[in-house]
Amino acid sequence: MGREVSESCLENLLIEIVSSFCTGFYVDKPELAARRIEAIGFQVGHQLSERCAIDQPRFTDHLEAIKFICKDFWSELFKKQIDNLKTNHRGTFVLQDNRFRWLAHLSVDPSLDASSSIQDPSAMAKNKAAQATGMHLYFPCGIIRGALSNLGIPCAVSADISNLPACSFLVRIKA
Amino acid sequence: MIVCIAVVGHQNNPLYLQSFTESDDALKLHHIVHCSLDVVDERVNNPKKSAPTLSETFLGLLYPTENYKVYGYLTNTKVKFIMVTTDLDVRDADVRNFFRRFHAAYVDAVSNPFHVPGKKITSRTFAERVSTIVKSFGLNSAG
Amino acid sequence: MANLLAQFQSIKSSSDRLVIAVEDVNDLWPDLKKKFEERLPLKSVILNNKTRNPVPVDELPADFILTTDARLRSRFPQEQLLFWFREPYATIVLVTCEDLDEFKTILKPRLKLIVQNEEREWFIVFVSKAPAHDDHATKTAKKVYSKLEVDFSSKKRERCCKLDMYGHDSNFWEDLEAKIMECIRNTLDRRIQFYEEEIRRLSEQRFMPVWNFCNFFILKESLAFMFEISHLHEDALREYDELELCYSETVNIAGRQRDFGGMEQGDDQATLLDPGKIALTQIVQDDSFREFEFRQYLFACQAKLLFKLSRPFEVAARGYSFIISFSKELALHESTLPFCMREVWVITACLALIDATASCYKEGLAQSDMEKEFYCIQGELFTLCRTKFLRLAYLIGYGASIERSPVNSASLSMLPWPKPAVWPSLPANASAEVLAKEKMILQESPRPRHFGIQRKPLPLEPSVLLREANRRRASLSAGNMFELFDGRPNAIDGSVQMSPVPKVNAMSMSRTYSSPGNFDGSIDRPMRLAEIYVSSEHALRNTISDVNLWKSLSSVKEFEQKYMDLSKGAANNYHRSWWKRHGVVLDGEIAAVYLKHENYDLAAKLYEKVCALYAGEGWENLLAEVLPNLAECQKILNDQAGYLSSCVRLLSLDKGLFLTKERQAFQSEVIRLAHSEMEHPVPLDVSSLITFSGNPGPPLELCDGDPGTLSVTLWSGFPDDITLESLNLTLTATNSADEGSKQIKSLDATILNPGRNTITLPLPPQKPGLYVLGVLTGQIGQLRFRSHSFSKGEPADTDDLMSYERPTRPILKVSKPRSLVDLAAAVSSALLINEPQWIGIIVRPINYSLRGAVLHIDTGPGLRIEKHGIEIEKLATLSPNATNLDNPQSSDNDGSPVTDEVKQLTLIDGRIELVDWASNITSVLWIPVRAISNELPKGTPAGPVVSQRQSVMYGLRTIALKLEFGVSHNQIFEKTIAVHFTDPFQVSTRVADKCNDGTMLLQVILQSQVKASLTIYDAWLDLQDGFVHTGNDDGRSTSNFFPLIVSPKSKAGILFSICLGNTLVEDETKELRPDSILNIRYGISGCRTLGAHSPVPGESVAPDDDSQSLTFRSAIVLQKPVLNPRLAVGFLPLPSSGLRVGQLMTMKWRVERLKDLEENMASQDHEKVLYEIIANSENWMIAGRKRGHVSLSTKPGSRVEITILCLPLVAGYVRPPQLGLPEVDEANISCNPPGPHLICVLPPTLSSSFCIPAGR
Repeated sequence: MGREVSESCLENLLIEIVSSFCTGFYVDKPELAARRIEAIGFQVGHQLSERCAIDQPRFTDHLEAIKFICKDFWSELFKKQIDNLKTNHRGTFVLQDNRFRWLAHLSVDPSLDASSSIQDPSAMAKNKAAQATGMHLYFPCGIIRGALSNLGIPCAVSADISNLPACSFLVRIKA
Repeated sequence: MIVCIAVVGHQNNPLYLQSFTESDDALKLHHIVHCSLDVVDERVNNPKKSAPTLSETFLGLLYPTENYKVYGYLTNTKVKFIMVTTDLDVRDADVRNFFRRFHAAYVDAVSNPFHVPGKKITSRTFAERVSTIVKSFGLNSAG
Repeated sequence: MANLLAQFQSIKSSSDRLVIAVEDVNDLWPDLKKKFEERLPLKSVILNNKTRNPVPVDELPADFILTTDARLRSRFPQEQLLFWFREPYATIVLVTCEDLDEFKTILKPRLKLIVQNEEREWFIVFVSKAPAHDDHATKTAKKVYSKLEVDFSSKKRERCCKLDMYGHDSNFWEDLEAKIMECIRNTLDRRIQFYEEEIRRLSEQRFMPVWNFCNFFILKESLAFMFEISHLHEDALREYDELELCYSETVNIAGRQRDFGGMEQGDDQATLLDPGKIALTQIVQDDSFREFEFRQYLFACQAKLLFKLSRPFEVAARGYSFIISFSKELALHESTLPFCMREVWVITACLALIDATASCYKEGLAQSDMEKEFYCIQGELFTLCRTKFLRLAYLIGYGASIERSPVNSASLSMLPWPKPAVWPSLPANASAEVLAKEKMILQESPRPRHFGIQRKPLPLEPSVLLREANRRRASLSAGNMFELFDGRPNAIDGSVQMSPVPKVNAMSMSRTYSSPGNFDGSIDRPMRLAEIYVSSEHALRNTISDVNLWKSLSSVKEFEQKYMDLSKGAANNYHRSWWKRHGVVLDGEIAAVYLKHENYDLAAKLYEKVCALYAGEGWENLLAEVLPNLAECQKILNDQAGYLSSCVRLLSLDKGLFLTKERQAFQSEVIRLAHSEMEHPVPLDVSSLITFSGNPGPPLELCDGDPGTLSVTLWSGFPDDITLESLNLTLTATNSADEGSKQIKSLDATILNPGRNTITLPLPPQKPGLYVLGVLTGQIGQLRFRSHSFSKGEPADTDDLMSYERPTRPILKVSKPRSLVDLAAAVSSALLINEPQWIGIIVRPINYSLRGAVLHIDTGPGLRIEKHGIEIEKLATLSPNATNLDNPQSSDNDGSPVTDEVKQLTLIDGRIELVDWASNITSVLWIPVRAISNELPKGTPAGPVVSQRQSVMYGLRTIALKLEFGVSHNQIFEKTIAVHFTDPFQVSTRVADKCNDGTMLLQVILQSQVKASLTIYDAWLDLQDGFVHTGNDDGRSTSNFFPLIVSPKSKAGILFSICLGNTLVEDETKELRPDSILNIRYGISGCRTLGAHSPVPGESVAPDDDSQSLTFRSAIVLQKPVLNPRLAVGFLPLPSSGLRVGQLMTMKWRVERLKDLEENMASQDHEKVLYEIIANSENWMIAGRKRGHVSLSTKPGSRVEITILCLPLVAGYVRPPQLGLPEVDEANISCNPPGPHLICVLPPTLSSSFCIPAGR
């Protein structure tokens, strides 16, 4: 598709989304804000995948769909492929992007374990930085989930930024 | 001529159905489209049958009935396009081409942020595009 | 060569096994025949197929035929090549011989003669008749046999075997069979090779003019047949396939127009399953065969083989595609064929195929998916058959009884009409039938649908039959070509006008000539519909030769029977295949017939399935077609629950699908049922019809314990207003899961208009927390309904649509208990005691309306509320915290006339109702009270400090306040306010000066106690006994310095000059006063907002200044001065080191006798003096004796010291203990030096050993 948008604009937009949800609409309700941001990402992923998958051969199994996400879909989004894909062949996939662009300009104390804070938003109240980062991660998570579920794979997606700038997304397919 | 084109969601629910017959007997086309879903399911689920078109979006001719033909197309997002035509000599290439263009139109329609996924497609522009595609299909098959 | 066909056929039919020739040399056969034939059929043979691959054949039937037999004799050599397949495949030579010479001389040459024919595969069976015991015989037999072997067997081939008639050896038979098989195999190979070459030779020239298909056919079929009898069915099948291929590519090469066939009587019945049905000789057409019959023949042969291979599903599959393709073929030749030949043929073909395959097919013959496919094809066959059958039925006028359902419409309305060269015209004397049909047409009327639903019936015809028929007739007379094309360019019409076949004309002529008048009449005048029906009926009768088929078309009843059978057959097969939808849809068709025949029970069952299918996948248009029928059935079956839910489902379908009128009909049905007495009323789920949601915006906020009214938005899908007898909503608390959902009810019936409604429900007090809407329940008539679905009406919901669990918006928020109002005393400073005074009570609502609040006032003891008016006013100066506490809606009141408005309230048995304007603002309530105390205030001598305690208690009063407020006075706020009352002055006195003449100046110090300026108009002193005023006035001070104004909290002093003087008592009656009274007439000018103020004007206000002036009386104690001191008490100075808490110290007093008393000149010179130590036990611990006697000599100047040991307990300035002499009159004691008033006690040195008593 020829249509593209400036990356910086997109990043600003994302930051705006996060801030407006976390500090504007749903102060002190981080889980609600998270759900909303995730929902936005979901819709985006849902519709993007529709477009990206237009001239793909039909996927016969989950792995193909995941590969599609890693290759075509990701390069559609970030002009690069997922760097590392792991799976346990039982419906769990780990997609690692060694330099996740949307976190590139985010300065986080790498010591804190954001993955845990993604898991339970309630715990995020503890650490502001973790909360902020976690919030920024809901959007891409939503995108992946949206894309996959549109491809007929219901799943739960969480992200882990324990070693920035690498960011790895954990996809658990709901059997 | 193409009498009907339909979009069917991944839960086999009708998302869009447009008939191009002059008489108001669209109901029978509903029926045809709905029943042709059986064939789609068979193609997808029954490994033996679907062997050739396993990974292909274009499902080819679904019905070899003698008075009309039903063609199917299954996107990666489990959305089905069903096309019913009454002219009995149709080149597969034309149908493929038709579906490709239709798919593009569909994607544009559902990418509209105001379109609620899983709901019926009500966009007027989509309808117009579809009708133009259908018309041009007639030309292609003629030439 | 085609003339061989007949012979070929006969041979084929006669010989169906392969032949083994027996050359019986020394006629042994009769007694061996039995044994040999026991061996048949041959078991587990390995044969080579066309491609030289070994194929196992488990059973191979064969015949032993003697070479002398007639069947093998009569042969013409030239045939043999062609019919080679029936020649012996092996030749067994039976010999026996006892004598060697005989063998040499006779047998050997004869055998040579026999076996010289290279054509045949032979071997020799040597039978030895030698009995087992006869050694000689056996020996010779051996010899002869060995000789035989030497002569006839070769290295590469063993051609002999030996059978002992008496000695039985089993391995002979294996040997025999092995040899037979070997022979057969070789023969077969050779013959296959031969046929192959022949066929190749022929097929090379198949596009040449010399081509003759028959020859090719005979060769090919011979080969196929040979394969067949040698049980190589696969190969046979392949041959037939090739044959078909070759035929189809040669049958109509350009330039060779053969006629198609299918003209004979009975051709309408498909013969695609028995090859013997038609004799090939009859269908031969110069050098080939008529297509119609021959293609069926070929298929029949294939089918036969497939059945032999037990692959019926393949038969079905091939058969279906064959029927399709063949019916296309028929369409090409339709103009030449009898009327509707094509349809009839398809019907019969399908039926035949179905019967054959179904009967041959057993469950589990193939794996499941194959099986599913098989049933699918069966279903397709049924459907195809059904369609054609419907077409025929329509043509002869049964259209009325065909359900105009989507299925039938889809299959019929796109199916082109039959296109005969000319439409059959009306036969003679058919007028009666025409009338009958006319009647039928008039009678026929689409049965009214339930709910009075009107639909344009779906078409069952591609184009109007009337037009079509008449045009096709017209085309004969005025043969304009393009008339023939009916819209779509089609190969069918193409063939119509290019072959005006004489045969058809003959046929139609023959029919029409019989009624000439009708003939020309039928040209100019277009047929009527009834005539068309009749004519086509007649035509069909000529076409259809199958009795059963015709029978099922003979009457509507029969037709429906057949129609049912076909539909059921199709449905049942589809159900067992992948194509569930097809099956269910056809069930719908069956149901329709049931419904028509009032078999409602079955109909309902089937319709349920159909509706479930459509509803499940959301095909509302189709659902809207069947659901009314289901509803009708349910109504008739009196299944009220089902009927209701159907109606609701109908209502909740897309509005566009039904007219308003119809939807109103649905609703009226619902209402009717709801208000009728249902024997067992059912709960109805209207989730799809009535949806609800809280109002957009923030949730309703309530304080703990408050009732409220909740307003909810309901969306009604009913076309009309509907009355809900009752309406309940459940609230579920989000925070606390344990206590479930509370129900709130609407008081009276609510009426929902279509679309959006806003209803309000009274809300009883709820526990604190967040609440969301749960489920909506209620009643329509006797009918309980419930709805679970939140309305998506608001745009707010759309963005939630993606998120997986949608957070339902809280609709009610009950806050935790908090203080809603505050009551406080307006003034802190003291008020005048014994005077009517205003008590101000500040009523401050905290974000809460006090509308209709009631205040209970209960005054404590010693306080009385004055009868008259209580006032309320807005608190004029809002303290800053009060302003921001005032909630915004009341803030507009600031600076409004309310501010200085003062309203009179009246107290009704201790209750006051607050005014409304004060409901949201801080206001102050003024209550007139009077604190009563009837004890006289005491003046105190100036100097010595008196403890204020008793005087504090003296002025304190309490008011118990209880405020009832809230919507229903449910909130209660209680507070007890302490008010401090006091006298205007605190009086203290001291003797300012003492003159020599005994007059004293008594100074009275007035300390103002109130926050108001007091004006003293007058003051006088009523002296106690023993004192008189100097001068003869009553001590009223000269009033020239009155009035005297005492500003708040300041002091004033008045001097009185008095002197001692025992006022002679005039009369004893006048009791003598213990103390003297100070009277002060004063006025007060104060503001009630500050504190004490002029008394509340009573009801009877006498406007004279006198009323303004109050009097204040205070008792003063005057003590006589010491005139003749006899004893002096001196306080000895304390140690300079100072005192410390917890440090023992001694206190000394010196008592000195100044002068003795003459009155008691006692003998003894010592006098006991009683002393006593007065000390505040809280401050001091006295170690010594507090009270005792000391002896003091009576002569003046004698002195004694009193020391006591005491311990200070508290640090600070405390009064020291004092020494008192109780027995001595105060007047006779002079104190010098006087004891100090206060002494300083230092805090203790830090030490853990000393502990301060607790509570200190």
